Amino acid sequence: MKARSFLLLVSAALIAVVMLVVTGTSSARPAASATSPAASSAPAQAPFKVALVTDIGGLDDRSFNFLANKGLNDAKKRFGVQGRVYISRSERDYIPNLTAAIRQYRANLVIGVGFLMADSVATVAKAFPATKFAIVDNSGVKQKGNPRNIRGLLFKEQEAGYLVGYLAARQITARPFGGNLMLGAVGGLKIPPVDRFIAGYYAGARKANPKVKVVHAYSQDFVDQAKCKEQALNMIANGAGVVFQVAGQCGLGVLSAAKERNVFGIGVDADQGYLGQHVMTSATKKVDVAVLGTVGAAKASGANFGTNRDVVFGVKSGAVGYGRISNRISPALKAAVESIRKQIAAGTIVVRAQSPPATTG
Amino acid sequence: MTETPPEGGGKVENPRQGGDYAPSVAARVAVWHKAGGIAVPLLTTLLAFFIGGLVVLATTGKNPLTTYKAIFEGSGLNWFLEVGSYEIGIPWTESRVWFPWDTSFNSFAALNLQQTLIVYVSLVLTGLAVAFAFRCGMFNIGGQGQYLVGAIVAVWIGSELPGLPGLLHILVAIVAGALSGAVFAGIAGFLKATVGAHEVISTIMLNYVALWVGVFLFGLGGPLQNDNVGGESVPVSNDVLEESKLNVFWGDPLLQGLHVGFFVALAALVVYWITLNRTTLGYEVRAVGFNPEAARYGGISVARNYVLAMAISGTFAGLAGTLDILGWQFRLNTNDIFISSIGFVGIAVALLGRNTAIGVALSGLLFAALLVGTSTRNLDPEIFRPELASNLTLLIQGLVVLFVGADVLILYLFGIRRRARQRQART
Repeated sequence: MKARSFLLLVSAALIAVVMLVVTGTSSARPAASATSPAASSAPAQAPFKVALVTDIGGLDDRSFNFLANKGLNDAKKRFGVQGRVYISRSERDYIPNLTAAIRQYRANLVIGVGFLMADSVATVAKAFPATKFAIVDNSGVKQKGNPRNIRGLLFKEQEAGYLVGYLAARQITARPFGGNLMLGAVGGLKIPPVDRFIAGYYAGARKANPKVKVVHAYSQDFVDQAKCKEQALNMIANGAGVVFQVAGQCGLGVLSAAKERNVFGIGVDADQGYLGQHVMTSATKKVDVAVLGTVGAAKASGANFGTNRDVVFGVKSGAVGYGRISNRISPALKAAVESIRKQIAAGTIVVRAQSPPATTG
Repeated sequence: MTETPPEGGGKVENPRQGGDYAPSVAARVAVWHKAGGIAVPLLTTLLAFFIGGLVVLATTGKNPLTTYKAIFEGSGLNWFLEVGSYEIGIPWTESRVWFPWDTSFNSFAALNLQQTLIVYVSLVLTGLAVAFAFRCGMFNIGGQGQYLVGAIVAVWIGSELPGLPGLLHILVAIVAGALSGAVFAGIAGFLKATVGAHEVISTIMLNYVALWVGVFLFGLGGPLQNDNVGGESVPVSNDVLEESKLNVFWGDPLLQGLHVGFFVALAALVVYWITLNRTTLGYEVRAVGFNPEAARYGGISVARNYVLAMAISGTFAGLAGTLDILGWQFRLNTNDIFISSIGFVGIAVALLGRNTAIGVALSGLLFAALLVGTSTRNLDPEIFRPELASNLTLLIQGLVVLFVGADVLILYLFGIRRRARQRQART
C-alpha cells in the first residue's frame, strides 16, 4: 500500500510539472497575438466597445444568436465600434461571461440575447450600475433586484403575424383549399412572443376576409420537428390550406408538412423562403436590425443612452415584416400586402398585442 | 505490489549479451500500470494534448502552445504562479494575515480560478460517482440522471420551507438531494441484484426519466414552475431562498464566487478513499468488483453490494447536483436540464483518474480547467476562433477517453517492439 500511495503522489507531482512545462515553454515565446484587439488599433479617443453574450443556443442557431451576431458585425462596419461575442455553453457561463465583458473587455454596452439570460443580466446589471445593458426579447424594466441600467429590446411580432395572415387569407379566398376557407398556425410553447405572432395572424386574416376561419395549436416544443409536423398534418387534414409556423426549429416540420400535402407554409423569425416555393412568405423578426439600431443609439448618446425602459421594434423601424414571397403568389397580392405594410408603418393600421382566442384545433 | 517486471525474469546489464533482456519500456509501463496506473493516464493525457495541438495547428495555423497557454490562463491556474505579497482575512475575525497570492477582486486569474473550482466541485463528485460503481464492477452511466435528481430535489427544498433557519435548511436540502440521488441510482443496483438487468442499460434509461420528470416539473404548467409575477410563460423553478444559499468564501457572492461546497467535494474525496480502503464495506465492494463469483464463494452478498455501491455512487452524484443548485445556480430551467452534461464528463474524470481518489482529484482538475479555459471569454478571438473553442475541449476530452480505453492497445504496441527486440537478441 505504501509503494502505491507514494507512486500516486509522484504522479500528482508529475502532472503538476507537465502543466507548468506546457505553460512555461509557451510563456517564454513572445505572444504575438496576445494583445487585446483594443490595443492593436488605437484611435485618438477610446473606442466604443460592445459585448454580445449569447444564450446556450450558440451562434449557429439560425435564429436569435445568429442574427444578433450579424447585427453586431453590421454595427462594427457601420459605426466603427469594437465588438466581441461571448458564447455561453451552459448556464454556468452567463454570469462569468457578463462579468468578463465588463471587467476584462471593458465594454460600454453589454447585450444579452434571449429571455434565458434575463435573471443573469439583472444580477450583473445590479452589480455594475455604471455599465449600460440591453437584453433581446425580454423587458428591461422591473427585473430581479430592480436594476435601472437595462434596456429591453422587444418586438411587435403581432405586426409580422398580421401581414402574413392578411396575405394568407387573400390567397385562400382567391383559391380555396378543397372548398375550405381555413388557415392554421402551429406555435411552440404558449409564451407571449409566440402568442403575439398568432394573434396578429388572426387579425390580419380577419382584415382580408372575415369569412376565413383560423385555427391554431401548440406543439409544446421548439426543437422536435416531428411534433410540429404532426400538428400541421392534422390541420391540413381538417381543411387548412396555409400553415404558419411559430415554433423555431420544430416549426420546420410544419413547412415540410406543407410541402408534402402541397399547401402553403409560412416561415418565422428568419426569412425561410430558401426552403422552396411552398413557403408563401415568412413573418420576420430581425434581431440584427434591433441590435444594429441599439448599438448606434448607444454610441451616439453615450451616457444619455436611456435604460430602465423598453424599446419596441416594429414594422416602422424595419425590424419586423415579411420575407420573400413565393412566385406562386400573384403580383396583385404582393402589392396588396406591401400596401398594408406601408399603412402599418405609417400608423394608419394599428395592430394590438393581444392573446389569440382559445385553441380550437 | 513489488516492482518486478511481469514476465521475462530479472535485469541484466546488457540485453544483447545475455539470453535475457532488460525491462523494456512496455515492461516498465506495465509495472507502473499495475502499481496504480500512473504512466498510462499521463501518457494518454499528453498524447491527447499533442494531437489536440496538431488539430489547432491544422485548423488555425496558429502556434498550439499559444492556445494552450491561453487555456491555462483562462482556467485561472496561473493564479498560483503569480506569487506576491498580499493579505488574506481569517474567517469570522477582523484580522488579516500575510498570503502569497492575490485573493482580491483585482485578480482576473482569481476570478477564473473560482469558476474552474466551481466546475471542479461537480466534476469531482460525479467522477467519484462513476468511480465507486466501477470499483464494484459496474459502469454507472447514470451520473447525469442522479445529478439532475439531486438538483431537482435541492431546488424544491431550497425554495420551499421558508420558516427553517439557514443552516438547518441547507442541511435538509443537501441530505435530501444526496439521498434522492442514492435512491435513484439504487433502482439500477436493485434491478441488477434481483433480476440481473444490466446497469448500463438501466442507468441510461433512468437518465431520461430524470430529464423528463424535471422538464415536466418546471415546464409550463408544471407543479413546481415558478410563482413569479409574469413567470407563467417561463419554464423555470422558483429561486432558492436567500437563507439556503451556500456561503461564498472567495469572490463576489453576487457574481458567482466560489462556494463552500468546494470543501464538501474535498471531503468526499477523503470519504471515498476511507470507505473503499479502510472499511469492511469497501473491502466487500472491491471484492465483488474483482470477481463476483469468488466474492460470493467467500461469503459476501453480491446483491447487497450491488445495491449499496450504486446507492453510494448516486449519493455522490446527487450531492453534485445539490451543491450546484445551492452554490451558484439557485434555480433550474428546463433548458439547463436539457443542456447539462456534467454527469457525462464525470465518466471521463473517473476513467482518466483510474477510479482512485487522488486520480479523480487530479483528472477532475484537468477537465475543469479545460472546460473553463476554453470558454469564449478566456480565448482571445485573435488567438482562437470562439466557435472552435468549445470543440477543442470536446476533442481533447474525447481523445483522453479514447486513449484511456485503448491503453491495452498502447501496451500491446510497446509489446510488439519488445518482442521484436527479443527475437533479435535470440538470433
